[in-house]
Amino acid sequence: MNAVEHETQLDAAARAYVTIGMPAEELRTLWQRPDIQALIWADFADLTPVADRTLDWVAHGPAGGEYRWRTETAEVGANEIRWSSLDGADVPNVGSVTFHPAPGDRGTELHLEVKFDPPGGVVGEAVSKLFHVVPREIVLKALYRFRALAVTGEIPTTNPQPAARSGSTDR
Amino acid sequence: MRALCWNGVNDLRVETVADPEIINPHDVILNVRLSTTCGSDLHLIDGLIPTMRAGDVLGHEFMGEIVDVGREVTKVKKGDRVVVPSFISCGKCWYCQHDLYSLCDTSHPKPELPEPLLGYPTAGIYAYSHAFGGYAGAHAQYVRVPFADTDCFKVPEGVSDEDALFISDAAPTGFMGADFCNIQRGDVIAVWGCGGVGLMAQQSAMILGAERVIAIDRYPERLAQAEAFGAITLDYTKVDVVEALKELTGGRGPDACIDAVGMEAGGTGLQQAYDRVKQALYMGTDRGAALRQAVLAVRKGGTLAILGVYGLMDKFPLGVLMNKGVTVRTAQQHGQAYVTRLLEYTQRGELTPAALATHRFSLEDSPKGYDMFKHKEDGCLRAVFMP
Repeated sequence: MNAVEHETQLDAAARAYVTIGMPAEELRTLWQRPDIQALIWADFADLTPVADRTLDWVAHGPAGGEYRWRTETAEVGANEIRWSSLDGADVPNVGSVTFHPAPGDRGTELHLEVKFDPPGGVVGEAVSKLFHVVPREIVLKALYRFRALAVTGEIPTTNPQPAARSGSTDR
Repeated sequence: MRALCWNGVNDLRVETVADPEIINPHDVILNVRLSTTCGSDLHLIDGLIPTMRAGDVLGHEFMGEIVDVGREVTKVKKGDRVVVPSFISCGKCWYCQHDLYSLCDTSHPKPELPEPLLGYPTAGIYAYSHAFGGYAGAHAQYVRVPFADTDCFKVPEGVSDEDALFISDAAPTGFMGADFCNIQRGDVIAVWGCGGVGLMAQQSAMILGAERVIAIDRYPERLAQAEAFGAITLDYTKVDVVEALKELTGGRGPDACIDAVGMEAGGTGLQQAYDRVKQALYMGTDRGAALRQAVLAVRKGGTLAILGVYGLMDKFPLGVLMNKGVTVRTAQQHGQAYVTRLLEYTQRGELTPAALATHRFSLEDSPKGYDMFKHKEDGCLRAVFMP
């Protein structure tokens, strides 16, 4: 692979990895719960379950922009769950999460990958503009939130009580 | 409720803000009985650490009484008098299970902020900028404490509020530093810094069996406190510290050195951090000098424990450590691993954390307290606030 191809690949998919000290089967079951999906992606999009394997997503961009799509779980394997958006998506995307045993007693290694394919434009940049956040942050945050939920039963948050006044920005 | 808010560089005001509420099932709400200043706060106040926001409630070292509990809290209850370590730890992840509480994998609400800088997010911390979680602090009438079963420690009879207060941060941080030194019979431990953490590190080193503890600072009242704890003191403005340490150790050098000073240069990039240090040149160079001195002074094959808070330091004598075979141990405090033990030492009178409390203020007067603490007026070691 030459450098250009390598870079294109990195741009095309956002990936994140975590290890969770629990068995893969338990995590796989948890991942497939629509209420869990809604919680882990909540910072990025509002999710509504439509059917067993179907979710409606509404992502909010800057200045009130809204982007909608519906995903369907395409494949549930022993170590992998894949999903993709259906026709008519504002921002077509595909995603997958894999579950593999971690060494020793460390539990399970999870790899999350989401590939956004917005109409026209360079992928990473366009997605960042649409959502006002880079794809890597979206997947990283979702996966970290999943780990927190799996391990502790809750997601760490300061909403609605941040340290600062609401709307206050970094100085 | 009333709370001490950061509004910009060196702009602290006590304001009326919303009361905290239970958000997650393992939360409790604490009625703060006492909170205190920490040297690391000064760098937030001075704007050396980015991602502070106007209205941030300060304060990460505190104790109080539980007034409300989340539905899944089982180990503590309303009315309990508790002390809470400054790092928020879930108690369930791999790091917490291995007593590395300040590295908790699950308590940071904004992991995407520190991840690019540190590689991996640390635990969340109260009132330590938004890059460290954006949790509201405890210089307030009330504070929300997540993961109460892991993070709230009941204060036993015989331990005063003021003793318990410093078991939130200064005492466990100092004790951890001494613990890092793996103290053996005959060991000499040198501690740079006689602030709250340094003094607690000195007392802890004695508890853990150090033959001799040498304390280094320049403020007479701080050196006097170190001496009162039983340390041999060195004023670094008056002696060549490395030479004096050789003399005091028969030319061997201290078996372990503890840096309880720090150089708090944060920043989003190396250059920015370096520039910030240059802006605060006097303080920056002074503090960098302490760490370099410790690197030089420690005996061959000895241990260097770094407790001072550092940002991004680009001039560090790594080759000296390498050639001398020095073991470096460092961490933000893993308080939850030590608090129970420290409460016992305090109960027996072996540890005396309340000695750090030199000045007391109402919460309303807390900006005055910070001013006094910052300028070390009247020998101010720690200012304690009573909401």
